Amino acid sequence: MALFPLVCNFEGDFVLKLLPVDTEQTMAEVGQTAAVNAVGIHIADQPGKTIYARKEGADAPFPLDMKLSDSGLEPMDCVKFYFA
Amino acid sequence: MLERSDWYDLARDTNWTPKYVPEEELFPEDYAGSRGIPEHIWATYDEPYKVTYREYVGMQREKDSGAYSVKAALERMDMYTSADPGWIATLKEHYGAVSVVEYNAALQNARLLRFGRAGGMRNMATFGMLDEVRHGQIQLYFAHEYVAKDRQFDWAHRSMNTNNWVTLAARRFFDDLMMTRNVIDTSLAMNFSFETGFTNLQFIGLASDATHAGDFKFAKLIQSIQSDEARHAQIGTPTLKILIEQGKKADAQRMVDISFWRSSRLFAILTGIPMDYYLPLDKREGSFKEFMQEWIVTQFTRSLEDLGLEKPWYWDIFMRDLDEHHHGQQLGTWSWRPTLWWSPAAGVSPDERDWLEEKYPGWNDTFGKCWDVITENARTGRFEKTVPGTLPVICNVSQNPIVGTPGKTLQDRQLTYNGRKYHFGSEVDQWIFEQDPQRYARHQSLVDRFLSGSIEPANLEGVLAYMGLGVISDGGQDAHDFSWATAKTTKTVKAA
Repeated sequence: MALFPLVCNFEGDFVLKLLPVDTEQTMAEVGQTAAVNAVGIHIADQPGKTIYARKEGADAPFPLDMKLSDSGLEPMDCVKFYFA
Repeated sequence: MLERSDWYDLARDTNWTPKYVPEEELFPEDYAGSRGIPEHIWATYDEPYKVTYREYVGMQREKDSGAYSVKAALERMDMYTSADPGWIATLKEHYGAVSVVEYNAALQNARLLRFGRAGGMRNMATFGMLDEVRHGQIQLYFAHEYVAKDRQFDWAHRSMNTNNWVTLAARRFFDDLMMTRNVIDTSLAMNFSFETGFTNLQFIGLASDATHAGDFKFAKLIQSIQSDEARHAQIGTPTLKILIEQGKKADAQRMVDISFWRSSRLFAILTGIPMDYYLPLDKREGSFKEFMQEWIVTQFTRSLEDLGLEKPWYWDIFMRDLDEHHHGQQLGTWSWRPTLWWSPAAGVSPDERDWLEEKYPGWNDTFGKCWDVITENARTGRFEKTVPGTLPVICNVSQNPIVGTPGKTLQDRQLTYNGRKYHFGSEVDQWIFEQDPQRYARHQSLVDRFLSGSIEPANLEGVLAYMGLGVISDGGQDAHDFSWATAKTTKTVKAA
């Protein structure tokens, strides 16, 4: 368990935000943490949809049950979050 | 008595001939930036404004008495009490970002007058130095009278001694281009790109806005400064001519490209936001984009072409930037308003949104979507949701938040250099870093400082204390106390 900073690029937001998460979180949980700083703050909620995360520049999202520590992400890598 | 033209060139070029130190010690290359161009070539430097000390003192006395007379005459009008809070925000932002920096500009000119190889440059820089001292004094003095009314005006004196994030960005800009480069580079970066391209014209725009806003005192102040800028901004032009004639065009172009982009990023916040969001709608003459197209795109490119330079390589990116960058920075500065020394105006009532959509087609479907969420939070009293709980990521060159058009252009650009990861707000910022990584590598952005433990406690309170908020004054609140969120459109709806 360790604090892990990421760069959050949430689809529909206007600014990259610092996203402090935990290495033990799943990517679903990381998505929820990202939402706290973006959804209902600068972008509208999309009830019923799931938040996915992919490394900026990658085509496929991370599996929702993948642990952050297994994702291969490095501190301050940029992650794109989006509803689908 | 001789005419000035009969003795000016001789007097200007009067020099000592050094006997006890070699020329390279008198004019070290790190300071002079002579590029191997010999003395007799620098002697051809031909400054467009030829001024003597006697003439200068006479002109400046008139300018000062004009500005101070207007100040005295309007003192009892109490513009401050009746002014729109958006205009007050413009004043606070301007004074905090500009006043003390003028003294640094005086130091820059002092370096030019000591290490400049051309007599004409040294003469111009002498007056430029005196100009900048005057600009610092008069702006600090005019701002000081408001401190008793509102402590946020104290930032005019103090901002540059804090670690406020706007200050970090401005200080980094001026340190890079004005304080730490040789006199040839800085004459291109500051006197040509920054002042000819932006400051001179920005002050015309701001003076016009002040007149429309009824702030004749500020208009007079700014006009008084602008007339100095018009003169000393020209110091870089003869430098450019010599560099191009001596086969150093690529060198000169590179410096102009770097400084033009960095200046445009700074002025997007300093000028773009007030013009399109703070100034009351009925006082606006045009949009920031229109202003930039007329004064920067048309006039500055003409200056470049006249001198034989090209438009910067990123011109298409710059033109796109005029449609988006300052809108993102407005959303950012307003959202993180507790970190500002002024209380920003949102500028997004229904009528203002109509104006933004007209001037920037597509605004409602991009930036407007973010404001929809904010407006709904304000309407329903969820004010705590109008301030984000985390920090924006900062560009390691501009030191501004990395922004983009929602749903379109927001993107992180990363570069790892000597094991450290850097983030850039655009490919131009990254290109600037790559030109001289050593120059930029050691500086810590606000986020770097936060992550390295320099800011304690690592929360919003710690960040605000680190920035000086709550010490010098409280941070910003919404300038209009959210009245825009519940405002109705004033358009007359025609019956069908």
